[in-house]
Amino acid sequence: MSKTWVVTFETYLRQVKSWSFLFMILGPFLMIALTAGISYISANSNRSSSQVAVISDTRTLRRSYLQQHPDNINTKVTTVAAAKKAVKANHLAGYLTLSSEGPRLRGDYHGSKPMSNGLQAQVKNFLTQYQQVQNYQTAKLSPKQQRALAQTPVLKQHVATKAGTSNLAKLISFWVLVTMIYIILITYSSITAQEIASEKGTKIMEIIFSSTTATSYFVGKITGILLMIVTQIVIYLLGGWAGYAIAMNYAGIHRLVVAHQALVSGVFHNLFNLNLLYLLFGVVIYTILAAYSGALVAKAEDASKAAQPVVMLGMLGFFATFPFQNNMDALAVKILSYVPFFSSYFMPMRIINGTVGWGEQWGSLVILIVATALFAVYIGRQYQRLMLQTDSQSLWQHLFKKFKH
Amino acid sequence: MLSIQHISKTFGPVKALNDVSFDVPDGQILGLIGQNGAGKSTTFHSILNFITYDGQIQWQGHTLAATDFDQIGYLPEERSLMPKLTIEQQIVYLARLKGQSAKVIRPQIDDWLQRFAVKGTRKSKIKDLSKGNQQKVQLICTLIHQPKLIILDEPFSGLDPVNADLLKQAILTAKQAGAAIIFSSHDMENVTAVCDRLVMLRKGNVVLHGTLDEVREQFGKTELFVTTDWSTDQLTALPGVASVTHRHGQRYVLHLSAATAGPAIFDALTQGHYIEEFSQQPPTLDEIFRLKVGEEHV
Repeated sequence: MSKTWVVTFETYLRQVKSWSFLFMILGPFLMIALTAGISYISANSNRSSSQVAVISDTRTLRRSYLQQHPDNINTKVTTVAAAKKAVKANHLAGYLTLSSEGPRLRGDYHGSKPMSNGLQAQVKNFLTQYQQVQNYQTAKLSPKQQRALAQTPVLKQHVATKAGTSNLAKLISFWVLVTMIYIILITYSSITAQEIASEKGTKIMEIIFSSTTATSYFVGKITGILLMIVTQIVIYLLGGWAGYAIAMNYAGIHRLVVAHQALVSGVFHNLFNLNLLYLLFGVVIYTILAAYSGALVAKAEDASKAAQPVVMLGMLGFFATFPFQNNMDALAVKILSYVPFFSSYFMPMRIINGTVGWGEQWGSLVILIVATALFAVYIGRQYQRLMLQTDSQSLWQHLFKKFKH
Repeated sequence: MLSIQHISKTFGPVKALNDVSFDVPDGQILGLIGQNGAGKSTTFHSILNFITYDGQIQWQGHTLAATDFDQIGYLPEERSLMPKLTIEQQIVYLARLKGQSAKVIRPQIDDWLQRFAVKGTRKSKIKDLSKGNQQKVQLICTLIHQPKLIILDEPFSGLDPVNADLLKQAILTAKQAGAAIIFSSHDMENVTAVCDRLVMLRKGNVVLHGTLDEVREQFGKTELFVTTDWSTDQLTALPGVASVTHRHGQRYVLHLSAATAGPAIFDALTQGHYIEEFSQQPPTLDEIFRLKVGEEHV
């Protein structure tokens, strides 16, 4: 086995077996579980206090209401005294009394807070319909007359559903992809910079550089970190697939997915294409920059500062996409889609928007790959000198010096 | 054979090495001595290609290259291992970087731990070991792949006499196996005990070079070890005595201004009678070291 692979596997296994990697993997799942748990508990605890009771001396009136609107009603409370007691104990949000004043129906709501708009519309609608039926009976109208009076105007919206779905799919794909790139970049830039910086100036590096070349070690280190990234992505893909499969067993979710099949397919199509390569090479070039940044710190104690420049550049790319999310074909987007470090954000935007040809897509990718390779070779050549040097210049002094030259 | 020919190295205005030359033949041990900052570590870093330099360094007749890395065992001045790894993981990792197979190295680990009397098992974490035991593990990492060129920067530093003896034994075993060994030390006793040749550096210049006997003979037999009932003042007043060091009881070392003063002092002290101790010798390496360092400050 080549020494590069020895370094790769050592880096990979050490990181993957660490608690921090486990928490990093489980983090999103834990967050989802926590959010769902809190929502469930919150919903359960609010359920009783958000219910209302419906009370009426006219049994048919109450029954009719309960048949039409059974949701969020506490059917056990049937008297005003019981309802008042329940409201006071915060077991009910309020109670609705339905009564008749001669030919006229009346509804009274008693509660600690005003009725919600939904409930208000629901009650008004019920009373109107019920009153109308009573009015028809009182007026003794023929069925024909009743039908004539029951006519209502029609308002219908005609939306091109395919175009609407496509635009929504683009927007969702854009956000998913850009956020994914940003999170992976920020996470692994920090890990890489700290991993490299923590070795800076230590004598273990002298032992290692008496065993293998700096370039071989550097490539091994970066490859180990990339394997971590791939591991995380694979775990998420498998987790996502398993979650999707489990979720589809629930009728409600299944109906939802079937109803929005075009949207789901659109998002998947936008994510699983050349954009994945942009994501991968974007992460590679940022990881190499992070390694360089880590190697530039003056001493191992400055490891926490090492990732700052890379994180800032990553944030710049991320936030620069915001103004263009509804204008993905702007000139600035076209230019930045060819600039390494930015192309990973901007070319996927254009690919999602469908306004860039295959030649341009691959051309930008080749520029990114070549830039990544040149950058890796440049840093690999300097790596030993950077890691073993004993100067007292800070990271910013180094960068300033490089910039001046 | 490691051959160092006319190497020089400058750091800014400081000349760290100035035309340094010496050889380390296979199966020989060379001690590199000198004060802190004399250029010992810079010499090692030059051999290992950590820094650029003027001059030429050759190993077995060619310039040392990455392909020779597997033949090198290097112990840096400050100890540094990966604290989260176990002893076994650490040894195997560094051995694999030396081109060794884990299958070959793993069965040897217990034997090496026993040989160096490491207090811990192969599954012990490096961070849980004492400083001395970490140092021993690092020595094992340096030697386990049976290197042909061994570079040890202050290997005895921090070791107690018992462990220093274990290290000396390991160095001598490697020598018998034909390795060319170069090590630096401030402890002249250890240098005397194991070195075939020595090089003394001062401000980047070679000021002494040769076998131990050759180096000591350069200074003449100017140390006189005597046991007498004479007082320090009486001994100091003898002709040719530069100074006197009281060892203990009636034992003294007379430092002579010239080796030729010996016979006259012998006559004066014995006056035809028996004397328990009279031994004229060259200065010890320790004294030579002090002498050379002293020259710097004159």
